[in-house]
Amino acid sequence: MIELVNLSKSYRNIKAVDKINLRIEDGTIFGFLGPNGAGKTTTIKMMAGVMNPTGGRIILDGIDLMNDPVSAKKIVGYIPDRPFLYERLTGWEFLKLISALYGMNGSTELDKKILRLLNLFEIAEWKDELIESYSHGMKQRLIMCSALIHDPKILIVDEPMVGLDPKAMRLVKEIFRKKAQEGMTLFISTHSLEVAQELCNEVAIIHKGRIVARGTLDDLKRGARLDGTLEDIFLKIIEEEMND
Amino acid sequence: MEDLLILISPRILALKNRVNRIEKRFKIVYVVIGGIILWVGISYACIKVLFYFKSIEVIGDLLNYRLLSMILLTFFSLLIISNIITSLSNLYISRDLELLHSMPVSSDKIYVAKAFYTLLDSSWMIAVFGIPVLIAFGWVYKTGALYYFHMLHCIFAFVIISANMGIMVTMILTNLFPAQRTKDILMLLTVIMIASLYLLFRLLRPERLVDPDSFFSIIHYMGALKKTDSPYLPTFWITSILWSLLTNKKGSPFIFNTLMLWSTALALTVINIWLSRWIYFKGYSKAHEAKRRIITGSFINNIIKKLLSPFMSQDLVLMIDKEIRTFFRDNTQWSQLLLLLALIVVYLYNFKVLPLEKAYIRIDILQNEIAFLNLGLSGFVVSAIATRFIYPSISSEGEAFWIIRSSPFSMHRFIWCKYLIYLPFMLILGGILIISTNIILNVSKTLMYSTSITLFFITFSIVAIALRIGAQYPNFRYENIAQISTGIGGLTFMIISVAFITLIMAIEAGPVYILFISEFKDMSISILKWIYIILSFSFVLFLTFFITYRSLKIAILRLERLET
Repeated sequence: MIELVNLSKSYRNIKAVDKINLRIEDGTIFGFLGPNGAGKTTTIKMMAGVMNPTGGRIILDGIDLMNDPVSAKKIVGYIPDRPFLYERLTGWEFLKLISALYGMNGSTELDKKILRLLNLFEIAEWKDELIESYSHGMKQRLIMCSALIHDPKILIVDEPMVGLDPKAMRLVKEIFRKKAQEGMTLFISTHSLEVAQELCNEVAIIHKGRIVARGTLDDLKRGARLDGTLEDIFLKIIEEEMND
Repeated sequence: MEDLLILISPRILALKNRVNRIEKRFKIVYVVIGGIILWVGISYACIKVLFYFKSIEVIGDLLNYRLLSMILLTFFSLLIISNIITSLSNLYISRDLELLHSMPVSSDKIYVAKAFYTLLDSSWMIAVFGIPVLIAFGWVYKTGALYYFHMLHCIFAFVIISANMGIMVTMILTNLFPAQRTKDILMLLTVIMIASLYLLFRLLRPERLVDPDSFFSIIHYMGALKKTDSPYLPTFWITSILWSLLTNKKGSPFIFNTLMLWSTALALTVINIWLSRWIYFKGYSKAHEAKRRIITGSFINNIIKKLLSPFMSQDLVLMIDKEIRTFFRDNTQWSQLLLLLALIVVYLYNFKVLPLEKAYIRIDILQNEIAFLNLGLSGFVVSAIATRFIYPSISSEGEAFWIIRSSPFSMHRFIWCKYLIYLPFMLILGGILIISTNIILNVSKTLMYSTSITLFFITFSIVAIALRIGAQYPNFRYENIAQISTGIGGLTFMIISVAFITLIMAIEAGPVYILFISEFKDMSISILKWIYIILSFSFVLFLTFFITYRSLKIAILRLERLET
């Protein structure tokens, strides 16, 4: 479960994230939507523990991220929008490094698991090549492998489908659904409203650092008094907010 | 401990992969041979100087002691500055930090791993230049193995102390300054510090220590030589330890200084780890908030655009405009102009204080000899600056290079654009260097014209060679632009450039000498000698044009064939 309590981040006089409150149950695929510069990536970076909030709390599966960051990070997988990979390592070496950082020892069981993940994301045949020779989509798939290697309870993803071909997109969606069924909580920030509509059980729309709408697709339709797609609802809500 | 080893492992693995996959392995052999030659060269030069000082009666050993102290103090200052810059990059800017901070590893462990690499990255200078100097001391004073053992552990403690001090400054500054401007202010502070230190060192005129005449009496002079550094400085402890071994006078100060050195090194390490728990992640988080720029470059740009527009097509003008704009908006780039200014001031000052009147040969001949050698030195300075600014200029396009590649803007125009931006700047710089030093030296007209004109033409080629090597070794995925010039391409450029300057000087030496002597002695020159002079200068002219043309041509071809 993810709990954000009055989560805030200010840069001088600008409130990038303004007292966000969210509670996301286990097994939920939660879509975090918003226009450019709304505060999505800042929220995600704070949840991943790579940026300090200026106020509020982040509780991941009952662990306060600020009080016990190491324990909280152990149960989280993080896929940033612009991931860094050690380009001069091979895919295999990179995954071994990440698993070591999660405290997983170099057993044959781990090797099998890495191979299984590489097969799942269809990049096993490239495992011994340097990452610098990978395409953008392959790098994206490798970073997904690294985020799932320790079976996290929570997966935080910033723009999951960037650089993926349709086949890989379908594959990723299937994996995400399966993981949610197994009890994993997925927090996904995306610009793609189609992805959100297809994948997420619940969504929240952030605008100028504040949550302006939240619920299932039906909840949002009722709130917006509109019977259209998520895109129609999103545009109507943002327009109303801008007029206010 | 296990986490630390894991955090350190990516660079080791990357190095292993790099070595394993190098196609042209002979390049490694070149670097190793070059390193050995450099080591032997430095050691040899130091041994010569130290033997010379040692042979001076009464004050010989004092001079060497003072020299050791000054060398260590210089290294100490440079190491601290180097650590400030490197720790800023490793601890706060490095692109892998987001990945590492999202892992279940405490921030103090990330700090230790990154501090370890900061120490390594900053201290290579000691390995390259410091160790051969200290070996030379051991050689001259005929010490035993014990000296070399103590030398190594003292250097180790020395680099630990300087690394910790530099890192501490960075950690505190990153937390003190407003978040958005941390990087800018740190970079500026560092540059100002380097420039001040360099100027201070030059204005202290250490060369006076080898010149007793500049003191009122021999007692004053001896007093100046015996004056030691502050006993609180680590350099004082190391100087004392090494000197007692060199002169075979071990005693209680030796043990005390060794204990002081190592206890400081360990205490600073512990203090920094403790400090990192409090402020490191806070500073990292602040440093990654939005950034503001200090200098816009708009004023300079508008003038340049107006000046160039009547003579150039719009695309070329706009590319030049973009180049200047990005240069002045990158604080790590423009701030180095301050360093350049300090370098020019020190260079000219060095000529001003040359004790030529104390030389045993005629002053006018010596002045002109120095002026000719100055051609090589100025060429070297121009090359060094080209390594820093022009050689990385192609890589500096970064991952946005695809915009140029995919546009109808040809590589031919791209290279010309770069050439036209940097050439005037380098011509002005070279001109200031050579003309000012010639005026200071009061050289003959022959030397004034021949050296100035030669440097003018050499500069055309140096800029072209820098672009050619830059196109041969492009790195669009750099982590830090400053690292590009320290790679194999930068070294290759320097070697080629210095070889080119030496060749030009070798061709011109004879004709310039004939011209100078004829002017000096008011003698006429025979027709045969005139033919020799004209042929030599024509060959120099041809060579510079040929090298310039070929270099630019190859640079264009390299970029056209480049697969990114």
